[in-house]
Amino acid sequence: MSNGFTAVRAVADNVVGWARRRVTPEIPEADLDHRDPDFIRDRLPGTWLLASLYFRADVRGLHRIPADKPVLLVGNHSGGNVPPDTFVFTLAFCSYFGVERPFFQLAHNLVVSAPGLGWLRKFGTVAATPENARLALQAGRASALLVYPGGDYEVFRPSWERHVVDFGGRMGYVQLAREAGVPIVPVASVGGQETALFLDRGQWLARLLGVDKRLRLKSVPISLALPWGLNISDLAGHLPLPAKITVEVQDPIDVDGDDETVNKAVLASLQAGVDRLAVERRFPVIG
Amino acid sequence: MRVQRQLVVDTDRHTIWSLISDPKRYPDFMPNLERWETVTEGPAGVGSRYTVHWKIGAAPVGGVIELVEFDEARDLAWISITGVSLRGRFRLRDAGPGRTKVTFRLAYQSPGGLLGLLADRIASRQVGGTLSASLENLRELVEA
Repeated sequence: MSNGFTAVRAVADNVVGWARRRVTPEIPEADLDHRDPDFIRDRLPGTWLLASLYFRADVRGLHRIPADKPVLLVGNHSGGNVPPDTFVFTLAFCSYFGVERPFFQLAHNLVVSAPGLGWLRKFGTVAATPENARLALQAGRASALLVYPGGDYEVFRPSWERHVVDFGGRMGYVQLAREAGVPIVPVASVGGQETALFLDRGQWLARLLGVDKRLRLKSVPISLALPWGLNISDLAGHLPLPAKITVEVQDPIDVDGDDETVNKAVLASLQAGVDRLAVERRFPVIG
Repeated sequence: MRVQRQLVVDTDRHTIWSLISDPKRYPDFMPNLERWETVTEGPAGVGSRYTVHWKIGAAPVGGVIELVEFDEARDLAWISITGVSLRGRFRLRDAGPGRTKVTFRLAYQSPGGLLGLLADRIASRQVGGTLSASLENLRELVEA
């Protein structure tokens, strides 16, 4: 039994080492110039079709986002490695404020550097580093940065906890907003965790395989998803079920307290928004 | 893609013009209007700019528009400066004593090639419904 485990661990180490060697050089520098407004504009109709017909998306409260100064948008995150809430909100933001307003999204290094996902950088997706976050908030007179503090911890929560906002104790975003002198605008969404049946975060599996330290992957999630059936890790993504996605922007929160106080206020605002939207849903997926 | 709706209202052109020539009143009769903000100062006229978004499908569609025609009691037209390429027009014509034919027209073209064409076609039904409801609301306002 012990020999078997050692062999599995050795194979995992080799795979992870290979992945790290391939991925690390691909992680983009803190260069926000990859964002291309004309590219975004050309992609909006296709995104609109997908959001309108497949996800029947509904985005509310965009008027609450200050139009004339930089803002940090903080959302609850759902949907595994294919999170529909991100692209639905990106579509709505770019349509409402125009593609000319600098708008960036932080994502895990693996997402930004994954083969075939280079186009995300043209949409303004940058690797989640403090340097990129600071630069994004300084990118223009009214730049906006979307972050999901819960990240891979929240996005792989079990589907039966789909209406629970949980950042896993992460609150570095408050410091970011404070240093940049920008308000935090919470963005609540529901529906994303119904695009597959998420069973377990698989943090124990991440530790077992050692990817928590080597690739900063705190989860190797386990889910039932199309087209794989049993889906371990979700690294190859999945075909999301056509769950109705509803997003609601909340009132801005000024960063005028300590990190914990502000974090509590943001979580409370998001949870209240999610609860409100959850009450409207009659059935999972259908909405 | 050009979408047009029209109806005949039991009132004269000047009464209707007093309403449509004041874009601040548009939220009073246009449904699905998610955003309407005045960009330029002063009374409405050629060159006046507004930020306008209609909720079409999943996203607010529109941008900054500029009035390009302001022909009293006859035509009011605009083009978009940002966002989806858009031309809009209110057209007022006599339809007999004390009656006016009101035409509300939107011509728009999404970017993105084939997907843009498909999006335009699919959105046209909702756009048409929005135009019809706007005209019905306008009629209720002026005939009240």
